[in-house]
Amino acid sequence: MTADLTSEIRQLLAELTGDSRPLDAPLDTALLRDGIGLDSLGGTVLLTEIERRYGVDIAAEDLNLDCLESIGALADYIASRLAAP
Amino acid sequence: MIKCVVWDLDNTLLDGVFLESPDQPPAANPRLTGLLKEFAGRGILQAIASRNPPEAGQHAEHVTGHAFAATQCGWGPKSAAIRAIMAELGLTADSVAFVDDDPMERAKVSFSLPDVLVLAPDDMTAAAGWPQFSPAVVTDEARRRGELYRQRRARQEEARAFGGSTDEFLRHSQTRVSIRPATPGDLPRLHELSVRTHQFNSAGTSISETELASLAGSPTHRLLAVTLADRFGDDGLVGGCVLATGRSWRVPLVMMSCRALGRGVIDAFLTWICRAAQRAGAAQVAVPCLISPRNVPLRIALTGAGFRTGGIPEQDGEAADPAASKTAVYVRDLSQPLPGLPSWVQR
Repeated sequence: MTADLTSEIRQLLAELTGDSRPLDAPLDTALLRDGIGLDSLGGTVLLTEIERRYGVDIAAEDLNLDCLESIGALADYIASRLAAP
Repeated sequence: MIKCVVWDLDNTLLDGVFLESPDQPPAANPRLTGLLKEFAGRGILQAIASRNPPEAGQHAEHVTGHAFAATQCGWGPKSAAIRAIMAELGLTADSVAFVDDDPMERAKVSFSLPDVLVLAPDDMTAAAGWPQFSPAVVTDEARRRGELYRQRRARQEEARAFGGSTDEFLRHSQTRVSIRPATPGDLPRLHELSVRTHQFNSAGTSISETELASLAGSPTHRLLAVTLADRFGDDGLVGGCVLATGRSWRVPLVMMSCRALGRGVIDAFLTWICRAAQRAGAAQVAVPCLISPRNVPLRIALTGAGFRTGGIPEQDGEAADPAASKTAVYVRDLSQPLPGLPSWVQR
């Protein structure tokens, strides 16, 4: 499931940034600033879209937003939340 | 507080139906045009949501003599038009009023966007006296707000066509940010920002001019102001913060206008604060931040700048302050490397 989720997230990031790099960037690529280059606006749109698609409200649950650390961390976080009963 | 009035055109701002009179398009309704100008003078933005071709928007600008901050003309639902206007202007639904003569349109918008204040044209004369339409302070920035949003639209259109990164675009646009101690002349605008900002506001409470003045004069605090300009226009004072200096710096309030959203200013400001604290020999910078769905952009900026929190502290006893119970302290350890300041920040 994580593999599908990862490719969905890559797709979403590519749409948000208007750039194809997120499609094949390494899993440990950071999302903010120097990595994918999301700013606070892009990050907010990403979190809103994730809540809409997966029902996971990251901004309320993860105050440090550690899952914005990398593409892989974000996919793992959503997968773990979807797997929880 | 209402920040934007979204107007219908046919039989609302226009005395007639645009498409029914192609040879002589309808004139502006004089009463509503007067109110529109009155609201604009109070710093409230004016926008159009109309089921018409785009020419209707141009016609309305011509006959009212008003430059609208955003125009949505098309055939989709009005709620979608209002959502697009909110996204373009960086507004939340509870700061928007919608005026339409058609009761069915009003009902549909009320259903889809329950936080939007939905009004009939007949309500508007009375509405001008309501507190939601009467900001206590109207600054120069507020009066120029409509013009600033037009500059923003020009900037966004060029940014979409620009091929490079955000940082390259900021340099290409000749972005200039200055961060400096606040002067007495800045206090009304800083107060206004404390009332109006939500997406980039750490405290979630307003701060009076008197409180700001005493902080500016305090030996233990500093009050900073941030200004922003580029070749599209001068946005004036867009942000500020209160700093408590010492062995560890504390930031009781940091705020930024959503006008600066997507322009790198909040990131540059947080970096500036951390670097200033490091130069002053402080070990860390702490930002107590209200955890609210509205200030997610600020929390993302804090995370991006290397701030971390241990979460919302447990409250002892029953007399816990309800605001404190939702505040987490974000800390930046200054022994970790700090990013450099962008070249467009004036030192």
